[in-house]
Amino acid sequence: MDRDTLEVVTGAEAVVALRGHSVVKKRIPKDYRIAELDTKLRKERTRLEAKIQSDARRAGVPTPIIEAIDSFSITMERIEGPSVSSVMSEAVAENIGVVLCALHSAGIVHGDPTTRNMILSAGKVYLIDFGLSSYDRSLEARGVDVHVFFQTLQATDDRFPALKDAFLAGYARNCANAALILEKVNEIKERGRYL
Amino acid sequence: MLVLGIEGTAWNLSASLVDDDNVLCQASSAYIPASGGIHPREAAQHAANNIASVIHQVLSSTDPRLIEGVAFSQGPGLGPCLRIVGTAARALSLRLGVPLIGVNHCIAHIEVGRWKTDLVDPIVLYVSGANSQVLSYRQQRYRILGETLDIGIGNCLDKFARSAGLPHPGGPKVERLAQESRNYLPMPYVVKGMDFSFSGIVTAATEALKSASLEEICYSFQETAFSMLVEVSERALSQMDKSDLLLAGGVGANMRLQEMLSVMCAQRGARFYAPKLEYLQDNGAMIAYTGLLMLRHGIKTAIESSGANPSFRPDEVEVPWIETH
Repeated sequence: MDRDTLEVVTGAEAVVALRGHSVVKKRIPKDYRIAELDTKLRKERTRLEAKIQSDARRAGVPTPIIEAIDSFSITMERIEGPSVSSVMSEAVAENIGVVLCALHSAGIVHGDPTTRNMILSAGKVYLIDFGLSSYDRSLEARGVDVHVFFQTLQATDDRFPALKDAFLAGYARNCANAALILEKVNEIKERGRYL
Repeated sequence: MLVLGIEGTAWNLSASLVDDDNVLCQASSAYIPASGGIHPREAAQHAANNIASVIHQVLSSTDPRLIEGVAFSQGPGLGPCLRIVGTAARALSLRLGVPLIGVNHCIAHIEVGRWKTDLVDPIVLYVSGANSQVLSYRQQRYRILGETLDIGIGNCLDKFARSAGLPHPGGPKVERLAQESRNYLPMPYVVKGMDFSFSGIVTAATEALKSASLEEICYSFQETAFSMLVEVSERALSQMDKSDLLLAGGVGANMRLQEMLSVMCAQRGARFYAPKLEYLQDNGAMIAYTGLLMLRHGIKTAIESSGANPSFRPDEVEVPWIETH
């Protein structure tokens, strides 16, 4: 690792390094997979993640600007600010609702919209880590996104009921189907898991 | 404490006697289809023909008055087989005058694995004919973190093997043929978060029979399907912040799958464990031992709620016997 690299986080799939004003997410080779399959998967996923992230940004969802992309890594703008989990309030929850609705309206689901993957910067909620994202307009996929968000909120914040209402108000502002989504979320919760 | 357990969800009818530390006796009778795959009616007929004999073998190994409980596989599994086993277990429990314990087959696979490897709180990859799941214990239950969206990995292998004219069970034959090739043909790789799907591979592999060698297809099939299973296992270890992985279920006998899991664990500094083949496959001991754990925690099954439960999910079972730090 070169000396400009500040901090490194290793996930299941990728290594994320902070480098100056940029963040570099690199998908690392997996020794358990044969090289042909491993290379193909990492290339496809890197390309798809970059495409979804820039499409989201084009649709008005605050996400880091992509600066460079090569076969296995994406270099993007570093968003300065706290994780939303440390600054959660009704206003922030409402803001998240607006952002998630904008993402869903663009035909994208995030796949892992936990509070860890949201940064508050200059009054805006940024979505990061599109590694599990996909193009999906189904009510089910949108419901799973909202359900995942509710779960992290419920696990980490005592003000969950009020925050949930604030989120829904934000979501409903531009997404007319908010009530249907909430119904779906309840159904997913009943199932105990999401299929 | 001595508990007698009877397993009979699909192919292997098996009775066993265990105490807290050891498997004292086990008698099994495997159903081997004359042609094709497992036929539920024939499997049940096999169970009905052999259940008296396997129970007798186990009972005659001990003084039956020492047995404190009768456990049986209540589900998930083939309804006709489950009903045979349930009927025998009810009769035996009444005859011996001891509690009846309905055991979830998936939980039993996990518990026998924990028992034989001394793991406390691992991520579990459970792979068998009908089931493919990634599980993790949290707050009195095994939570299903991810699972197949369509068919289990074992059925996926068997289904393809049948189209290729290989006799049942297809898994071991596919494994052997796969060793003869290093030529990878791309197949559908479907992972969504921690869920996965295998039906596309069966279609692609069957289609490939027209143009590629059986060895190539078996190799590509295994590499693709197993990579999916290893990927979700790794994601589960990462997300739950756990460092032990336990393999359970009959497909766990596949050495290529074991190798891949162990490489993945080594690369991330986690530990990988697989019990011996006899405890990976369906066996009576796993039912008896899980029944023993349940009985120790006061869980018994009343006759009226002892009916077969073919779609019994592991997260329906309360698990009070795990003590995490």
